[in-house]
Amino acid sequence: MIFRRRIRLSRAGGYEIRLAPEERDLLAALPLQLVSLLDEVGDKTHDELPDALRRLLPTAYATDPEAERAFVAMTREDLLEHHRDSLETMSRTAKATWLDEEQLVSWLAALNDLRLSLGSMLGATEEEAEPPGAQLHPAEWIAYLYLGGLQSELIDLLEGTLPDPIPGADDLVPEDLWGDPPGDLRWDGTPQPEEL
Amino acid sequence: MQSPAGLEADVSGMPAGSIAPSEVQQPETHEVALPELPWLVIVWNDPINLMSYVTYVFQKLFGYSRPKAHKLMLDVHYKGRAVVSSGPKERAELDVARLHQHGLWATMEHGG
Repeated sequence: MIFRRRIRLSRAGGYEIRLAPEERDLLAALPLQLVSLLDEVGDKTHDELPDALRRLLPTAYATDPEAERAFVAMTREDLLEHHRDSLETMSRTAKATWLDEEQLVSWLAALNDLRLSLGSMLGATEEEAEPPGAQLHPAEWIAYLYLGGLQSELIDLLEGTLPDPIPGADDLVPEDLWGDPPGDLRWDGTPQPEEL
Repeated sequence: MQSPAGLEADVSGMPAGSIAPSEVQQPETHEVALPELPWLVIVWNDPINLMSYVTYVFQKLFGYSRPKAHKLMLDVHYKGRAVVSSGPKERAELDVARLHQHGLWATMEHGG
């Protein structure tokens, strides 16, 4: 089977978008569902969030509730706005046959947000190809797989737009403090994956 | 713990009228202020984010080379977490906020 790129660089600049009407309908509708969930967030703590939103609003201070409250107070509105902007841009431009780079970057962010939300809801893990929620929510499971494929295409394209590395930036990263975790578990307690 | 920056702020915040007479003025101390330990920004593994996306985000946000960004992504994947940047608290909070905007699971810890 020949793999047909759905999104490609346009000779005139920007990107050509070649998607079926059914795909465009999905990309117009799904983001708005997530936006309506985000509208309910308010000042809920991380523990009070539904599964579908936890990964979109992660904690910064894992062991310091007071610092975490201050961080949330400082950053939550911006973070919600960032998610909403990307999702609404993708929904609004889902029928477009051409996008500029800024719009495509919004698509990438929106696709990632949707996958984080759907994946969390389905209970995605690295160990199982099919998450526990796949049988119960087949439409969401298919959407999750589809969005992942489209996201991969966007990453391939947008990697080419990254600016040159900043000289010396690599050297500023601290050495790996912890080294290899002992036994078969990773530092976060999950099983180590197979080597690629 | 009070930061050197905090001490400076306290001194400059003294009311202008409270300057002590010169004879009781404290001699300058020669204590060496220890450099503050940097804050570490840590990205944790998750089962959803694509590996190519994580590498892309590290390059985009931090200006790392592709091999460095790829190595950090592999550390996250195989070891479960990796330190991706470090610096003063404000800088670390900004990096964490930017990583959160990109859907990565980042936390920060004081230490080194």
